[in-house]
Amino acid sequence: MTQLVQAMVLGLLIGGVYALLASGLTLIFGVMRIINVAQGAFLVLVAMVTWWIWRHYGLDPILASVLTTPLMFGLGWLLYRGVFVRISAAPPSMSVLLTFGLALTIEGILNVTVGNKFRSVTPRYFDESFRIGSIVLPKPQVYGFLAALAVLALLYLMLTRTWTGRAIRATAENPTGAALVGVSATGTAALAFAVGAATAGVGGSIMSVLYTFFPASHYDWISRLLGIIVLGGLGSLPGALVGAAALGMAETLTSAYGFPRWSTLVFYLVIVVVLLVRPQGLFGVRLREDVTA
Amino acid sequence: MVGLLTPRPTRRWTAILFAGAAATILTGCGKPASTNPPAPSAPLNIGISLPLTGDFSQPGGEAQRGYKVWQKMVNDKGGLLGRQVNLTIVDDASNQDVVVSDYTRLITQNKVDLLLGTFSSLLNFPASQVAERNKMLYVEPAGGAPKMFSQNFHYLFFAQQATAPHQADGLVSWIASLPPDQRPKTAAYPTQDDPFASPVIESMQKGLEGLGVQTVYTTVYPPETTNFQPIASAIAAKQPDLIAQGAVFEDGVGLIRSLKQIGYSPKIMFQTSAPSNAGQYSDGIGLANTEGIFYCVSWDQNAKTPLNAEFLATYKQLYSNADPAEDAADAFATAQVLQAATEAVGKIDQTALADWLHANTVQTILGPLKWDATGAPQSDFLLAQWQGGKVEIVGPADSATTTHIVNPKPGWH
Repeated sequence: MTQLVQAMVLGLLIGGVYALLASGLTLIFGVMRIINVAQGAFLVLVAMVTWWIWRHYGLDPILASVLTTPLMFGLGWLLYRGVFVRISAAPPSMSVLLTFGLALTIEGILNVTVGNKFRSVTPRYFDESFRIGSIVLPKPQVYGFLAALAVLALLYLMLTRTWTGRAIRATAENPTGAALVGVSATGTAALAFAVGAATAGVGGSIMSVLYTFFPASHYDWISRLLGIIVLGGLGSLPGALVGAAALGMAETLTSAYGFPRWSTLVFYLVIVVVLLVRPQGLFGVRLREDVTA
Repeated sequence: MVGLLTPRPTRRWTAILFAGAAATILTGCGKPASTNPPAPSAPLNIGISLPLTGDFSQPGGEAQRGYKVWQKMVNDKGGLLGRQVNLTIVDDASNQDVVVSDYTRLITQNKVDLLLGTFSSLLNFPASQVAERNKMLYVEPAGGAPKMFSQNFHYLFFAQQATAPHQADGLVSWIASLPPDQRPKTAAYPTQDDPFASPVIESMQKGLEGLGVQTVYTTVYPPETTNFQPIASAIAAKQPDLIAQGAVFEDGVGLIRSLKQIGYSPKIMFQTSAPSNAGQYSDGIGLANTEGIFYCVSWDQNAKTPLNAEFLATYKQLYSNADPAEDAADAFATAQVLQAATEAVGKIDQTALADWLHANTVQTILGPLKWDATGAPQSDFLLAQWQGGKVEIVGPADSATTTHIVNPKPGWH
């Protein structure tokens, strides 16, 4: 019983962090139909910047997200205005090519500047734990989970309670209708891309404490994040949460019961079964175009 | 308009192609390069494909450095067979399909004189097939999985001391040398599903079970595993005296962090490759936590092997005073093997080079290397242990840098 509770608690903690990492990806797809394959590279880029700040100034890596988040917001906005706006009318497959190129560019720049080495961010608590009875709660996972929940709650409030958030949702649901009531499609898309990139600002900083990383780590991350948002439903924030929790649980439960080899397979089997029943994912919305296509 | 302009260039190119083909026929097309040697002053071209991007880019980059250090040292001494050595290094992006097209292109289009191998069994497996098909000598620095040698290739040679199943023989021998009451009673064997890591652990488990060490936990996890707390918890529940992990890098760091978080420290801790990544490893788990961790390694920078000091100095000179990784040393040794065979045979004759290597022992910075008929090496790995924040070689006795062994391992700090 303890083993089951321990595995589920760990699964939830990890799932919370995964949800934050996947939220930017789903937001960008929801508004712009851009599959941002570079989101994993954004995370590794932020993890590297966090490592540099932590090493040179001793600033706590999770607190460092106060610096990395606005930096990523700015980078996201510039990238949209300078690059992505040019493919705004192109099919989604074009965005995969463009963002894959961007991911390779980031990987190459990191290779040349910080070197092709594994980096670790190890604040005092990196290998410590809280204990509740016989249940172990690793401190970095707990702090990462809390920070992720706080950011996801802020993101949710921004999307549902502010005019900007409503504009983003309106553009996601019906770009033409949003434009008719005065929402600038380009401005909203730039904002959504910037917010999506900014989530990597916090996500990358948290990731830097939980895992070792090197410039090419982004391949592992992007495949995991794409799985999460496909399961949850492309473009759905609650879907990303549920998909992330499912992945976290699949990983920890299969490992705890001696079958870690099956963890990846179990997660993708769940995706296949869900897509057979609900092709739009758990929380995805099926559009008229999807039915007629 | 374009169509009207195209015939002239086409005719011109056709003419050039015919002229080239005619010239080739006249000069003896199809003869092996060895019978028609270029002028002694022409550079000797060696073709290499390496994973410079993608999953294996980190060790691939180190292997590239090792090859370049060898190139500089050889060229500074007048080259190979009197010819300056030119390396053509291409990137296979850690991809099996790309590595096949890379070596095919190097052989058929670049027409390189010699080949050197790539990194990992995953990539060397298909690459060695291309080389064998083209009857080209293929010495490789990092492909020791058993399936490499079950191919029974004649031109393939693995330039480390032993194949993967024998990598941990040093630790098993050390445990066998302990009085029975001091040997570990129980052991846990988690390993990554990796062609180089898992055979080491499987073979070690058999060896230790033969000594009466009871297996209490085994598991194989996929390479993309990042969260190790569940595995650490399951291991801790079994309270093993020894944990032997088939760890590539991130997984080795991840399991130790998790064991510390769970609060379990075994008496003996062994990992395959992860602890050989010196500073990156100690940064990942904390320097104090490295104390007493064993691993097996092919190379040590303090070894007294011939040319090792020169290798170290040239590496530091070329790469901003950095310390070479084991992968760089393995690549250097691979090139030394090729050099020894070429100098002994005295010409570029691929079959003669392979025959010579099958019959002789080569001195390298890893120590002496010799091979069986399948290209599998027949020597012993070094047993290393982290002691006082640095690495010491504790076996075999003739290569050891200390006679002291930390046992049992102290608890985590």
